[in-house]
Amino acid sequence: MSADTPLVLSDARHLLRRAGFEATVAAAQKLVDDNPTRGDAADQLLSFTPSKFKPGGRYVEDIANKWVRYMVKTKLQLQERLVLFWHDHFATSFQKVGDVGQMAVQNRLIRLNCRGSFKDFVKAINKDPAMMEFLDTVHNHKGDPNENYGRELQELFTLGVKDPMGNPNYEQDDVKQIARAFTGWDYDRTGTAFLDTSSHDKGDSVEHWNPARGPKVIYKTRGGFGNPSGQDFSAGTNYAQEVDNVIDIIFRHRYLDATNTLRNTVGDYIAKKLITYFAQPDPSQSYVTAVVDESGFGSSFDLTALLKSIFVHDDFYLTAVPPGAGTHKSVKWPVDYVVSSLRLLQIRLKGKDQSLLGGEGDPQGGDDVSIRDLLENMGQVLFEPPSVFGWDWETAWLSSATLLARYAFARDIAGARGGGRTSFRPERLFDLTESDPGTIVDAVTELLGVKDQLTNSNRDDLITYLTDAGAMPTIDLSDTDTLYRKLNGLVAVVLQSPVYQLQ
Amino acid sequence: MAITRRQFITRTGLAAAGTLIGPGLFRNPLLREAFAQLMQDRYLIVLFLDGGNDGLNTVTPQAGPLRSDYEDARNSIQLLPGELIVPVKAFTDTHSGTQLGFHPGLGGTNGGIAALYDANMVAVIQGCGYPEYNLSHDLSRSIWQTGSPLTTVGTGWMGRYLLNNGYAPTDIPACTIGDSVAPELRQTATSVLAFDNLQDFGFPYDYAYDNDTTFKDAVFNALHRLPNGAAANANSTMQYIGNTGGSTLDATNSYPPLHRKYVQDRPTWNAKYSSGGTPPGLNTSTARDFREIAKVIYGVASGVANVNARFFELRNGGYDTHSDQGGADSQGQHYNLHREVGDAVKLFFDDLTDMAAHAGSQTGLQNLHKKVVVMVWSEFARRITQNDSGTDHGSQGPMFVIGGGVNGGVYGTHANIAQSALDDDGNTPYSQAPGFRSTDFRDVYGTIIKHWLGMADPSILLPTDPIISSSYWNTANFDMGFV
Repeated sequence: MSADTPLVLSDARHLLRRAGFEATVAAAQKLVDDNPTRGDAADQLLSFTPSKFKPGGRYVEDIANKWVRYMVKTKLQLQERLVLFWHDHFATSFQKVGDVGQMAVQNRLIRLNCRGSFKDFVKAINKDPAMMEFLDTVHNHKGDPNENYGRELQELFTLGVKDPMGNPNYEQDDVKQIARAFTGWDYDRTGTAFLDTSSHDKGDSVEHWNPARGPKVIYKTRGGFGNPSGQDFSAGTNYAQEVDNVIDIIFRHRYLDATNTLRNTVGDYIAKKLITYFAQPDPSQSYVTAVVDESGFGSSFDLTALLKSIFVHDDFYLTAVPPGAGTHKSVKWPVDYVVSSLRLLQIRLKGKDQSLLGGEGDPQGGDDVSIRDLLENMGQVLFEPPSVFGWDWETAWLSSATLLARYAFARDIAGARGGGRTSFRPERLFDLTESDPGTIVDAVTELLGVKDQLTNSNRDDLITYLTDAGAMPTIDLSDTDTLYRKLNGLVAVVLQSPVYQLQ
Repeated sequence: MAITRRQFITRTGLAAAGTLIGPGLFRNPLLREAFAQLMQDRYLIVLFLDGGNDGLNTVTPQAGPLRSDYEDARNSIQLLPGELIVPVKAFTDTHSGTQLGFHPGLGGTNGGIAALYDANMVAVIQGCGYPEYNLSHDLSRSIWQTGSPLTTVGTGWMGRYLLNNGYAPTDIPACTIGDSVAPELRQTATSVLAFDNLQDFGFPYDYAYDNDTTFKDAVFNALHRLPNGAAANANSTMQYIGNTGGSTLDATNSYPPLHRKYVQDRPTWNAKYSSGGTPPGLNTSTARDFREIAKVIYGVASGVANVNARFFELRNGGYDTHSDQGGADSQGQHYNLHREVGDAVKLFFDDLTDMAAHAGSQTGLQNLHKKVVVMVWSEFARRITQNDSGTDHGSQGPMFVIGGGVNGGVYGTHANIAQSALDDDGNTPYSQAPGFRSTDFRDVYGTIIKHWLGMADPSILLPTDPIISSSYWNTANFDMGFV
């Protein structure tokens, strides 16, 4: 464990890449100047008070665009990284919910809970109107129980289908029992959830095709509780309490690890997913258990403590090295690709639709395309995840279709030459009196955060581009045409390069 | 794709004419053509109904023994006998003697899959599933896509076919319509193209230099060098990005011409898929996706250079009908989904049939509708007994195998849906007494691999387990009659 490990510049930059969108050398240097150790830096990044921001607008496209704008502008970069993670985790789609206001409210709910108690977070999600619509809690009545939420609550939100040893965490009967707890829940016009007890399964009348299910217990055979009659979630006649009781039991679910020790299932499941998001795909189980044990997350469910442990662990910094044999690299999510590129190149989005200057047409005019639509081409429509599983990560983000969409975005931002805040202004970012091709390549790749990730041969390839394979040994960036062809062109090529697709 | 002579004999029905088979075989020009058509000149499309399609309201007991059990299980979403489409061609579950009917949506606005069934082009395989069924969308989908119910594997079932057939890293034997490569096609040897539409599938150059080929070449070449470097990296993610990037750049040159050729040669058909034309075209996402496949197949069959895709995946989502499923209501959720698929599949085969009719001397286009098979699947069917207004996750359901080379009809056995025959969770079990089991989806894959793709032993690609050690694909009358 390494909370006391001194913070060095390269580690600071890696931390900022993963915990934010704008890991410039200057920002990394400031983090080092302010914080002697990794632990101090993690504390500083995690010290934010969650914002009450809620994306506004009449259409789902509006709130998607507004959220991206917020991500591009906010100082709370880690907060937005977390909101994005939880939006994927508690994946809820407008396609089914159908209410823009409810989607926006859920977005704020996620933001307010993004680094707090995970148990409280899940209890709040239980009663979130968008979620109640999305996973059919509002369609779950006694006699006609609907299993949708009871299943996904366990499979996706808290436990996973199987524990790390490959054993099932729950059975179909547990899904059915949990569905009983949620029968009769609805929400009122203010979006406040309430229980209609007349529609709640109190163990009394049931329809003929749904035979009585007996006592309200779960995990008769699972959960490591050692009680064959199961865990009782009933609460007498306080029926509204049952859903919270279910969560309390789920958060006590344990599994037997390889050393025959009982471990909290929710703790390891959530820790592994957060590590996978922030640090590396396929993390070792020892990294997972180390951060859970150090942070106490398996009993406190304090997300801030867990995140700090993740950010100070040595394994977190393993992925800072360039890709090669034995390295684990993560693919940038489309939102990360877009927001990081805009922030690093200091380009603001334009107009009501949050579009790029130039957009689909050309720099002199034409149709502007909203940032939400550009993200759709890359495979990530905010507020419309493809299914309850959220998005597929890693190489699933990249295909010929989505790569071409990234190439087009790179072309558009590098070619945004209108002159204002919504355009790419190389004179503000680079020394245009520089004429040495190698120095120019280094400056561009350093700004975009990939200089230390390139091979020498990659660097030579970029120099070849600048010099037209040696025909133009020095570059005169004061010449507008050369500037456009070479510097704007180089920026686009770097944004399109394989290594920039990695985190 | 390699084949054995024995398969050739079996598939062409020439086994009896033994004297024809011998050293003189390949000197007979008619037989040489038959060989090419039957074994090499084929296409396979898989259509995924994402979310778990309600099989019982897709192919439904219309009359006979299973009808009353159906009526017990389904009330508000029940399809009445008169609402179901009863094809002219026999449509019966022979095991129980139940008359079946198609969901009315499958008739589409153009006759749909029901009309193709009457044209003898649809094999309906009842009760498809796998042992120890899983009710998680994610896991069950993965089981179907990898073709492996009991063990986890990293490649897709079609991907393993590609692996076994020696494609190079930058070959593009397969395409997915959509943003991401279909897991069925996943493997590490070759490239799969993913695109929404070929019209936009070009490399995005700086607009200011749109007519400057020197600039374009410089950018294109720089970008081509970078993926080549990435493909050589020891990191597997970089290899993937490198190979995908390289083949994508190549395809930006080779694939857009397929769009232009189709639109130019087939304007009337082009309009039928989209909003234009009189009467207006279908203009659904499934229809438009099928049109992209039609463009590629038309190009490949016409002999366009540098394209050779034979495998395709597309999907239609929205089948997770826990609520508001709708029965025979033509504005209902499930109806809309079926109509969209029925219309699109029918139009697609009409298009292929028309291409074949105008093939002239182009052998690739001749009989094209008989060279294409569409396999329709979903990760599971839904609960036999409905809930409030929809259906929860279930186990086995029907699959469709569609094409002019298919001997249409009903295959497999309908599950026993009597309440007393269901398991504790209300689903039909994999094995039902007496002596009956579901059709394993691997039976269907295996039949396609063996009889359509000509691979002698499908179990190389489809690991068996004790439960399906006696596979149907070895059963003479379960080959869906590929001709």
